[in-house]
Amino acid sequence: VSAIGRAVPRVDGVRKVTGGGRYACDLRFPRLLEGLVVRSTRPHARIRAIDTAAARAVPGVRAVVTAADVPNGLWGSAMKDQPSMATDVVRYLGEPVAAVAAEDEAACLEAASRLEIVYEDLPAVFDAEEAMRPGAPLVHPDAARYACRTTVCHPEPEANVLNHVRIRRGDAEALLAGAAPGALVKGRYRTQAQQHAPMETHGSVAVPEPGGRITVYTSTQAPFLVRADLAAALGRPESLIRVVPTDCGGGFGGKMHLRAEPFAAWLAEAAGRPVRVVFARSEEFSATTTRHAAVIDIATAVDGSGRLLAARVRTVLDTGAYSDSGEMVAWQTALGAVGPYRVPHLAVDSYAVYTNHVPAGSFRGMGWPQAIFAWESHLDEVARAVGRDPLAYRLEHALRDGDPSPTGEIIQQAPVAEALRQAAERIGWGRPRPRWRGVGLSTVMKTSTAPSTAGAVLKLNEDGGADLLVGAAEIGTGVHTVMAQLAAEALGLPMEQVRVAPVDTATCPYDAGARSDRTTFHLGQAVLAAAEDVREQVRDLAARLLEARAEDVEVAGGRAAVRGTARGLSLAEVAAASSQLSGPIIGRGRHQQEGIVPLDPETGQSPHAVSHFKFGAQAVEVEVEPETGAVRVLRLVSVHDCGRVLNPMLMEGQVAGAAAMGLGFALLEELRFDGGQVTNPTLMDYALPTSADVPEIEVVPLEVAHPEGPFGAKGVGEPGIIGVAPAVANAVRAACGARLTRLPITWERVLDAVEQGAAGRRPG
Amino acid sequence: MEVWVNGEAADLGEPGGLLLDALRQRLELLSVHRGCESSYCGACTVLLDGAPVHSCTVLVGVAAGRRVETVEGLQEAPGRLHPLQEAFVAQGALQCGFCTSGFLMAARALLAESPDPSEADIRRHLIGNICRCTGYQQIVRAVRAAAPALAAPGAVPAASAAGGAPPPAAAGLAPRPASGGDRP
Repeated sequence: VSAIGRAVPRVDGVRKVTGGGRYACDLRFPRLLEGLVVRSTRPHARIRAIDTAAARAVPGVRAVVTAADVPNGLWGSAMKDQPSMATDVVRYLGEPVAAVAAEDEAACLEAASRLEIVYEDLPAVFDAEEAMRPGAPLVHPDAARYACRTTVCHPEPEANVLNHVRIRRGDAEALLAGAAPGALVKGRYRTQAQQHAPMETHGSVAVPEPGGRITVYTSTQAPFLVRADLAAALGRPESLIRVVPTDCGGGFGGKMHLRAEPFAAWLAEAAGRPVRVVFARSEEFSATTTRHAAVIDIATAVDGSGRLLAARVRTVLDTGAYSDSGEMVAWQTALGAVGPYRVPHLAVDSYAVYTNHVPAGSFRGMGWPQAIFAWESHLDEVARAVGRDPLAYRLEHALRDGDPSPTGEIIQQAPVAEALRQAAERIGWGRPRPRWRGVGLSTVMKTSTAPSTAGAVLKLNEDGGADLLVGAAEIGTGVHTVMAQLAAEALGLPMEQVRVAPVDTATCPYDAGARSDRTTFHLGQAVLAAAEDVREQVRDLAARLLEARAEDVEVAGGRAAVRGTARGLSLAEVAAASSQLSGPIIGRGRHQQEGIVPLDPETGQSPHAVSHFKFGAQAVEVEVEPETGAVRVLRLVSVHDCGRVLNPMLMEGQVAGAAAMGLGFALLEELRFDGGQVTNPTLMDYALPTSADVPEIEVVPLEVAHPEGPFGAKGVGEPGIIGVAPAVANAVRAACGARLTRLPITWERVLDAVEQGAAGRRPG
Repeated sequence: MEVWVNGEAADLGEPGGLLLDALRQRLELLSVHRGCESSYCGACTVLLDGAPVHSCTVLVGVAAGRRVETVEGLQEAPGRLHPLQEAFVAQGALQCGFCTSGFLMAARALLAESPDPSEADIRRHLIGNICRCTGYQQIVRAVRAAAPALAAPGAVPAASAAGGAPPPAAAGLAPRPASGGDRP
């Protein structure tokens, strides 16, 4: 039985359904202390003094640390702008300013309340567009002095701009300026700050060791990124730091960088005992990261036949007080500005802008949900303005195989039209529906980040089974199951005989993390390379045992046999001999992509800037309740070009989970701020979709084997969130005539838009 | 405070403590998770006399003399999964797994009351439990799939008849039901 292409149950499934999951909060160590982060109560202020004496005197307190006590080096994915603990200035309300460790939580809280911190308030800025204007308070006056990876990050420090990404193709400005009023459509679209809200909050346990070594157990999606950031925070080489990912109760982009880790580490070393730091739900909301809120202005011009001619898209993203990975969100929104469509003339500007809000960072879809919401909403209006059916208009402009992307990269496989057709057919596009019911469509597109590398080690055990060592944390995506499937398939072993070893930076090869749908694609290739290495070693040893030439020995189906004869050995027989004859069989594989070229900073063009492209289409049917404005999603169809499907059950789970999150983004979720303060930092006030809010989602794979992917596969964790909000907005438009340009699409906003529509439609 | 936990008498400490903390710290029943501290996410769902409750907002005193069940008590024997556990694995009803214990216990209560629930019944019953990973449909399918095994004669005893505990004593405060509650 093949190990791939079928619904292999998760390798961590039985453990997790029997209560055997061990998350950071579950770990037990002798003499373990509790740790707590003390946070800024001001959005922007200079720290004049911190008096820790009274806090240290609280019974049971074992350590108090402030920035004065620790190396606290700056980190960030491209712009190194963030200290783990504020040094002299706090830049958002909730920023760490100190940390305490004590015998119990009550003593931590008591000590935190006795810290005396003197602030001097500084002018703050909470609106990204305002922050770009001359004279606005500068969040990082020293930005020009930070280390910055300039291949992707182009800061404009005098305007609070972390990154300005440009795409220029043809002459969009002139065509827009010269367009007849009837050919021009303009719109302004807004999306909100969304919180990842993984069910498990951030948590870490640090155990100090002699010689400056330390082990940090942590709930993370990227153990090696955490180790690199920790090296900066702890001021020591990575080799002294061991990061062990625990079971992770969800990440979605929010557990990529440092959060609880440095505090656990600093406190553990100060106290000389293990320390656990687990964030409260309120800390998740007000002091981790969010999806970037965006304001997106689009202007388009069509030619005489109504076809898209030119587009100008300006995106302003609130990146909050620190970069985290906000520069890449600006980069991705630029790439997604006009979706998977042919638009000959383009002028795109994406800005990630510093404000005194909690940092925005990586979040499933990485800017594409915002970009595609704006573009697909806009495109719907353009189609209507030129009197065309929105589906037909989309099909006419959809990218095809061999077309260039907006950044000039030739896309070999672009099944956009096919995805649209399938989504439209399944949702019943064009079928008459009663008033207040409607269907809406959106395409899906996402690029996977590059360059990206991964490694794998595959040990053949003496009984012919195998242990697989990879550096990818299992955060729920199913990566360990899929990697075991790939190894089993490549070696011809049953699934039960492949075990993914516990991940540990001290024993496993580097991996760039569970993000950007990269593990199936990149790590999968590394695992196949490791399996190939094992097969070669098996072949060589089998040749010795069978007294044949190596080139005559074929390794397949769990056997090594001399070609054209009945002579052969099972993998187990070869493996058993290895301990006596050859030494252990250890396969090594690694993967890197060649030929990645950064975007040209002026034109945004590159022959090969992304790892690979993912396409798809989503369609929803909604019913709007006229009295209340409530939008009920009756059906949701999600079609995805996911390469070859390795595990349909996991594939469905990834897409359905992402689509449900997309419904939250579309209809429910919004982190609200007042003067930098998050005003709804609980799950009671920040509504997540429940089982009653989400319909059965029709997940449709569009299997187009990718030439590089393992057995033709690509990742599919992100795309499902991307087209949901625009499909909902377009369905609401079809149902009641109201164009909702702002997310989430709340009852109030629908009612307002219906009323405005009755008074003469005006988007924006 | 003595409470019957998974069929055995257990000392859960001060009556003013939280049931969640007592189960985790005193008994190391680590399947019970804290997700939100505000009786909203359902990661801490356990059964109290067969009814699902959010243990993060139930005092130990409320559970005194009553039966508490957690996922650690679901299996009849090591290596033999409860039909719900089997169905969750077979249907892919979990990803990160943090919410899973709560869903299993909430589903167990549903199937004890309603042996053949519709998809809509299941979705309504589970609104006290949030899953951020799956989009719910594989969970709903798993509950449906487990129903016949639990309804069959000789099946694993339903929650309301579970193992060896005394009849429920009169309780003080009525804990907030974990499932089917109101939601804005």
